[in-house]
Amino acid sequence: MLIPRFEYHKPSTLKEACEIKGKFKGKAQLLAGGTDIIPNMKKRIILPDSLISLNGISELKSNSVSGKNRCARIGACATVSSLIRGKFLLPYSALLTGLESLGSPLIRNMATIGGNLATARPAADLSPSLIAYKGKAILCSVAGKREVSLDDFFLGPGKTILNDDEILAEIILDELPACTGSGYIKLGTRKALEISLVNVAAVIALEKPDGVIAGARIVMGAVGPIPLRATTAENLLMGEKPSDGLFAEAGKAAAEDSRPIDDFRGSAEYRRDMVRVITVRALQKALHDIR
Amino acid sequence: MTQYHTINSRAPRIDAPDKASGKAQFIDDLNMSDQLHGAILQSPLAHARIVKIDTSRARKLPGVKAVVTAEDAGLVQYGVSPARYDETLFCHDKVRYIGDEIAAVAAVDRETALAAVSLIDVEYEELPLLLSVEEAMKEGAPLIHEDYPGNICAEVHQEFGDVEAALAECDIVRTDTFMNKMQNCAFLEPQGCIGHYDHRGYLTLYSSTQTPHYVQRTVAMTLKMPIGKVRVVKPYVGGGFGAKASANAMEMVACLLSMKTGKPVKMVFTREQVFLQARGRHKFVHTLTTGAKKDGTVVALKHNCILEGGAYASFGIATVYYAGSLLGGPYKLQHMKYDAYRVYTNKPACGAQRGHGGVIARAAWEQQLDVIAEELGMDPVEFRFKNMMNNGDTSCNDLYMSSFGMRECVEAVRDKSGWERKRGTLPRGKGIGMACGFFVSGAGFPIYRSETFHCTATVKLSEDGGAAHLYTASAEIGQGSDTTFAMITAEALGVPLNAVKVSSGDTDFGVDLGAYSSRQTLMTGFAVKHAAEDAKRQVLEVLADKLRISVSDIDVKDGTVIFKGPGITFRTIRNRYRKEHRGWTDMPDDAPLSFAEAARLAFIVKGTVIGQGEYRPRWLGGKFKGAAVGTSPAYGCSAQVVELRVDMETGQITIDNMTDAHDCGFAINRTSVEGQMQGSLLMGLGEALFEEVKFDQKGRMLNPNFGEYKIPTALDMPNVTPIIVESNEPYGPYGAKEVGEGAIMPTIPAILNALYDATGIRFHELPLTPERVYKAIKEKQCEAKAERGRK
Amino acid sequence: MKIVINVTVNQKNYELAVEPNMTLVDMLREELRLTGTKKGCGLGECGACTILLDGQPVSSCVMLAVEAHNRKIVTIEGLETEKGLHPIQQAFVEKGAIQCGFCTSGMVLSAKALLDDHPHPDEQDIRKAISGNLCRCTGYQKIVEAVQSVSEGEQTS
Ligand SMILES: Cc1cc2nc3c(=O)[nH]c(=O)nc-3n(C[C@H](O)[C@H](O)[C@H](O)COP(=O)(O)OP(=O)(O)OC[C@H]3O[C@@H](n4cnc5c(N)ncnc54)[C@H](O)[C@@H]3O)c2cc1C
Ligand code: FES
Ligand code: FES
Repeated sequence: MLIPRFEYHKPSTLKEACEIKGKFKGKAQLLAGGTDIIPNMKKRIILPDSLISLNGISELKSNSVSGKNRCARIGACATVSSLIRGKFLLPYSALLTGLESLGSPLIRNMATIGGNLATARPAADLSPSLIAYKGKAILCSVAGKREVSLDDFFLGPGKTILNDDEILAEIILDELPACTGSGYIKLGTRKALEISLVNVAAVIALEKPDGVIAGARIVMGAVGPIPLRATTAENLLMGEKPSDGLFAEAGKAAAEDSRPIDDFRGSAEYRRDMVRVITVRALQKALHDIR
Repeated sequence: MTQYHTINSRAPRIDAPDKASGKAQFIDDLNMSDQLHGAILQSPLAHARIVKIDTSRARKLPGVKAVVTAEDAGLVQYGVSPARYDETLFCHDKVRYIGDEIAAVAAVDRETALAAVSLIDVEYEELPLLLSVEEAMKEGAPLIHEDYPGNICAEVHQEFGDVEAALAECDIVRTDTFMNKMQNCAFLEPQGCIGHYDHRGYLTLYSSTQTPHYVQRTVAMTLKMPIGKVRVVKPYVGGGFGAKASANAMEMVACLLSMKTGKPVKMVFTREQVFLQARGRHKFVHTLTTGAKKDGTVVALKHNCILEGGAYASFGIATVYYAGSLLGGPYKLQHMKYDAYRVYTNKPACGAQRGHGGVIARAAWEQQLDVIAEELGMDPVEFRFKNMMNNGDTSCNDLYMSSFGMRECVEAVRDKSGWERKRGTLPRGKGIGMACGFFVSGAGFPIYRSETFHCTATVKLSEDGGAAHLYTASAEIGQGSDTTFAMITAEALGVPLNAVKVSSGDTDFGVDLGAYSSRQTLMTGFAVKHAAEDAKRQVLEVLADKLRISVSDIDVKDGTVIFKGPGITFRTIRNRYRKEHRGWTDMPDDAPLSFAEAARLAFIVKGTVIGQGEYRPRWLGGKFKGAAVGTSPAYGCSAQVVELRVDMETGQITIDNMTDAHDCGFAINRTSVEGQMQGSLLMGLGEALFEEVKFDQKGRMLNPNFGEYKIPTALDMPNVTPIIVESNEPYGPYGAKEVGEGAIMPTIPAILNALYDATGIRFHELPLTPERVYKAIKEKQCEAKAERGRK
Repeated sequence: MKIVINVTVNQKNYELAVEPNMTLVDMLREELRLTGTKKGCGLGECGACTILLDGQPVSSCVMLAVEAHNRKIVTIEGLETEKGLHPIQQAFVEKGAIQCGFCTSGMVLSAKALLDDHPHPDEQDIRKAISGNLCRCTGYQKIVEAVQSVSEGEQTS
């Protein structure tokens, strides 16, 4: 399988990258880990005139935990396995589970977190938890930076709010408040090398240890054009004490919130039923994570 | 028991160091100087008339050296069985599936060749699509091949005994329908080849094939060349499992392009092309009616089967016979009736895949037998003991069990798996199940009708006597046949394994039908053993003559000549050898006479020592139509116990344990036998749980890649407890017979039976995806609820 | 237009001019004639093309050759020394972990990366580490056993 010809650019600073991207706009694609774009170019699904490699830009790879609210700043080009190894994401267990279940070790060593978000695959493994954590993205262009909530980042399959001249530079996760836990469940057929049939990330915060639920975010993947919030389910949880019965109700509500379609990987009906099942499990995991 | 110095051991494979170090060369690793690269134009439509092909734009592209279509290739029909030659090298009147070959290009590099292919303009007139057997068999459906009315590629009708009468006498009769989906062999190495037509008019084809012999014949026939001028060479092959067991269009195209250009032409499939070439497992729909007596005796089997074959016959005519004729075994069964149709559709052709023809039928029947056992209140193991054949039995369709360790296999898996302890005690969601298997050990006849030897082997001793060189045209495709034959040569000749060199996979080395139908160990092994024994005999005869003793007084073991009588002196031989080899290392001094010294002597006396062996099965089979398919010089059998877990809320299955016993007659290499068992089980597990080639309404394949055609990863496959049963096959070399394919037989039904144990549900459709399992569990729960409601 | 890159492959430095659309696997196989790295799918889905990139196993069929600039690559050919096969290779030979051998290069390299990081992995760690390397022949068991035998120090070379 040959890759169609293209022009190659390898800037060494983010600024330079923004300039090149600004010049070529939609005719240029960014190259991070390449695990998504290279197969797509081989299959001739994406045929850019130019590729701008982000791999010479060290600032895109750096991660830090800083600021007074100790938020985690993740460089868009951090690879999945570097994030697993890095330990600083340990509190974010739903994200960690997603990172660990992405593709295979070979893919994890190449794939980047930024690439995962930017491709906007409805079944992607990292977006649900990042949204559930109220993650933010820093987008850069020649004109400057803007910070957006990941809640607003996705527009449709393969579509994000990134403008033609913009680069995703950083992902920011606030420090998790006390009594907060998270869980992620991916449902697939095989135990590795698997794209989610359905996935659910849940974050819940208790008012105090053993108290009522003071915050809940549930995000579902592969059951809509973009990762979906299960808002009815979230509302149902608020102010309640966690219990099996409550979670079961939340699972049902989440299933109602989902908008799956039939495709060759599975039916809408199955996906909806699975949202119900794995939402419960993700919530249980989240609760467990608090303890 | 005979003491062997080499066979029956765990000797490391002779090709392993080269493979471990990356030195072993596969087809894509070979390049010839001045080679061109080929590319094929494949049909984008599943059924269409070709109105016009215009290659002019492609021809004008700089770097293009040749463009060929049916006009250049001619319309010689080929296929697998001469009874069903239905392919031509290129489509000329119409295309029958997405991927059908229309034209090809040779160019200076791959990029140019692919660009040229995209410049070939074809005008099509679309025809109605037939994408299922129902559509294809409907009254008045258009014909995919004019010569095959009703789109029936082949049909079989056989009856042994009187099934209707027997069923009428049975205490219990059950009918079930069972189906799978089209599958892919999914070997790791894509097919590739280099065709090279030289200035003298000799053609050499290097190809990733399981059957150099059949490829040689097909290439010679389609390109109208004498067989003697066509040579097929197989480098290392990265797995085949059936799909590489016949000639493919690419091989002929590469040869044709080389003939046109006078240069070597190389081509390698993409993974997508591997899927389009297909030739893997058919989609089968089996309807089985089985009758049994109260005491558990299975009496009669009525079997209807429909196979969806895709656009061409490929192996299909054999498949459709195998699906019926191999089902009765391993059980005693007096009455068996089989009616089957193989149907053409506008999809890639199906062919042979590990366990050719038998795998889905076996899954269906072994599950049904479990149901019957349960209805009769019998333990599945007891039920099988009651019905199994024994050594020396002949089945109702005339298959003779010259060795048959079925009982030992079942006992072994029962005991090793803890069957008696676990059966019936596992909680809901966990299950244990068992099943048996049965398969040929080589086909009784070649694919074309002939009295040909199935294989020949040559063992040539080096002039210094220190090395034996085995030449065989058999195909090492990963299963370990080179090592097996090296071990047989070493044992039969009496030399250590590292004194044997193997050259294989080349039609210049003899005749060998190749790696399919689990034939090589028994058949080629037989020929190799004879060739080695022949060489040894020649050496010993010279030695005996020189020493004035009888041949029966000497033997060879592990490189040393053994004198059975006392006081035999070989000083003159040794002195002569020492003088000749002045300055050499490893001179013999006090040691006993070595085989090398004796072989050197033989060379000096009579020239190159060449031992020859060949194999042809004894006459096999019955007189009925189709008796040839299913006959084998010997039959392998197997039993398996599977333990699994089901996530009752999602339908996901986890296989926890597999215990497998296989009667391979005699294990030439114990590690290799286990490896075949473990690999077979992996394929069975994949087919049971995940594997399915999917199509859309246009006949486009939806998952021609490893991302979406899911074969098991290391996390999906559990450890297997392999148990080798050795029943000592009288017609096999040292008692050996098959393990390569038969081992897959019990896997799917053992999974099905374990799944029933876990869920209380019988499944009649593969694969057992989480969704399918979940839906069934949900339905059952709904039924149970409704039931409770009624009460 | 070709681009010049500097790359270290099996401890040897190369300066190569490559087309931007050339994949790393093609560079290794076609430019450097290191054909031990195999191509099974071209889409990152089988692991036959596994190489070590700065010590980490990656699929070289979804990586551009130009992206290897200033990086260190180890291919299967880089494991053997004058003393013979690497202990992992030797274990694969002895345990029967190799059948057709098409997955072997990738398997060995994935195993090497694992053992370099965790000299004593358990069975599940091993299975996880090779879960991106498909094998259709062996059922994985003897591969896992081979890797285990190295970690248990059964193999020396
Ligand atoms: C075998 C295999 C298995 C896979 N399994 C999974 C899986 O289980 N789960 C899953 O979620 N994904 C999976 N993927 C998809 C893919 O690996 C991931 O989405 C990965 O995170 C993409 O990151 P990348 O760095 O490789 O992206 P690239 O391929 O480099 O880029 C992808 C797209 O994102 C754009 N992009 C990249 N970085 C930026 C940036 N900083 N700013 C703006 N745009 C950018 C690029 O222009 C390109 O269009 C799999 C892929 C393969 C080949
Ligand atoms: S060839 Fe690279 S992963 Fe398959
Ligand atoms: S040994 Fe053949 S694919 Fe692994």
